[in-house]
Amino acid sequence: MAAALLVLLGYFVVYVAFAANLMQFPFDYDQGEGFELVDTIMFSQGQWPYQDTNVYPFYSSNYPPLFHVMAAPFVWFFGPAYWYGRLLGFLGTLVTAAAIGYAVHRETGHRLVAVLSGLAFLASNTIYHIGPLFRQHMTMVMFETLAVVVLAHANEIEDRGRRRRALALGLGLILCAGFTKQLAYATAIAALAFLFIRNPRRGIVWGMGFAATGVLIFLGINVATDGQWWLQTITANVNDFIPDQTVGLFRLWFSLHGFLLVPAALLVIYEFYFDRLSIYALWFVAATANGILSGKWGAGDSYFATAIAALCLLSGIFMARTLQGQWRFPSNYLSRLLVDPFRRFGKGIGTAALVVVPLLYLGYGRAVLHMPTTGPVFGPIAQFLGLEANALNGFYDSAGRIAGGYADIGHFTTEDDIAAGWEIVELVRSAEGPVLSEEAAFNLHAGKDVITNPTQLLNLAGNGMFESDGLLSMIRNQEFELLVLRAQFYPPDILKAIGEYYRHDDAIEMNGFEYLILRPKSDLNP
Amino acid sequence: MQGNFAVVYCRAMLREDFTLTKRQLGLLLIIIGVAGFAAILAIDIIDVGREGGIGPAQRMALGLMAALALAGLTLLPITDTPA
Repeated sequence: MAAALLVLLGYFVVYVAFAANLMQFPFDYDQGEGFELVDTIMFSQGQWPYQDTNVYPFYSSNYPPLFHVMAAPFVWFFGPAYWYGRLLGFLGTLVTAAAIGYAVHRETGHRLVAVLSGLAFLASNTIYHIGPLFRQHMTMVMFETLAVVVLAHANEIEDRGRRRRALALGLGLILCAGFTKQLAYATAIAALAFLFIRNPRRGIVWGMGFAATGVLIFLGINVATDGQWWLQTITANVNDFIPDQTVGLFRLWFSLHGFLLVPAALLVIYEFYFDRLSIYALWFVAATANGILSGKWGAGDSYFATAIAALCLLSGIFMARTLQGQWRFPSNYLSRLLVDPFRRFGKGIGTAALVVVPLLYLGYGRAVLHMPTTGPVFGPIAQFLGLEANALNGFYDSAGRIAGGYADIGHFTTEDDIAAGWEIVELVRSAEGPVLSEEAAFNLHAGKDVITNPTQLLNLAGNGMFESDGLLSMIRNQEFELLVLRAQFYPPDILKAIGEYYRHDDAIEMNGFEYLILRPKSDLNP
Repeated sequence: MQGNFAVVYCRAMLREDFTLTKRQLGLLLIIIGVAGFAAILAIDIIDVGREGGIGPAQRMALGLMAALALAGLTLLPITDTPA
């Protein structure tokens, strides 16, 4: 067990170092972070980011508001910056890990396994590389996990007042998760199903209250934004589904987390047939099923983050119960068929658990292997382990580039990356008039308007909801002196016009991505 | 007679101390699985303008619904245990 603890603590050190590195990086690390910053700035100024994309500056957001509202006070004190959004995401993962550990300890009383369960969550490749980003996903997972932990024993509280407060708090936390990111609906379904199974009356009454509150907030925002909230966050989110991406990401998820996933699944099966179904089990099932949506265009491995939190919690309970020999199989047709023939081996199985449980955590530690391979601390360790970099900037990631939709990030940024970013900012600053940039940070640092949110325009265009005339007119009139492209996620007609009216002038590499600098074609000057 | 039984049953379900049994949960899962399966198939029947038949997302959802109904079936023999 000590070896398992050492390995998972090692990943925690890598995680903290990565988070510290990212907080010092003043540009997009993951595509689109800058637009989350723009949303935050707009909230700090009392504006909704759900705007009409058919008029200048053609900008809108497709995410619910809570994460950006939480980050907004930082804008008042520190101005536009990436570090506080990344800090919030990072702290959210620590709270989630602590909640997982707390739940495992509450259910089993096993302190070491509780610590291992929390650390296992932070050691996951997916959590590692999404945690310290300026994104709302991990804050959603934090609210979901806290909600589940609060609701898990709410039904057993004898005092009516205390029980009601626990239910209100738990369901309130799920609403917070939902207004952080839409994906939390799966946790809402699991929680309401749990309340219904335990007591249908309570499930129906509280479910109606929960739905009414959510709908009221939703309608309020929709009215306040003149219908843009519905258009931008719901209609625009209906994207193409790529089945191969879902299959690939499920396989990757299993290959990385299989050592903990199997115990978690066994506990779900055990509860299903031999014990009461816990909210943790229903949460795990709902979150895993929700992983199917990872095949949507624009989705990815982050869609498994909730399922990873659930599997770390369930596997922790499974491991602790196994070590403590706490399994009980009440008599039914399955126990007679599958358990009774093996009861005489119970003692031996208990002894084997002392070896198997640490091995499962060690196996998990090997499966999720990720760390820098250079530097005074990580270099010698990587050399000792025989690791060679397979990702950017001397980084090794056991999950790297295996499945489509897996975010190829996790590497540390360098001084060269920061210098390249400032070089682009200087180009933007020296341009006269507006600049169309696919990354918001350059415009923000240069003090220029942020124009468009490319992926949102693409989402809208895919659903026939974007009228490109205004933006096309500006491109055809060459009103932008400079364009900065990265992933080229604009709608096809916009990209076509850019190709017709702008020429490639330069390319600057930053953080492993090539930023294309485009200027107006001089022979087409209107 | 059957109507009375349903009313009595529903009333019992709404009691403060009522909790679902494994068998009742099994029945519920079978109902959800079968109804969900039929509803997903119905998408193609109702939405006559669509082309390409049952898509990959639909197939996954159909699989989920079938699994739900099967899981429900396996709970039916476990009678009075609380779910």
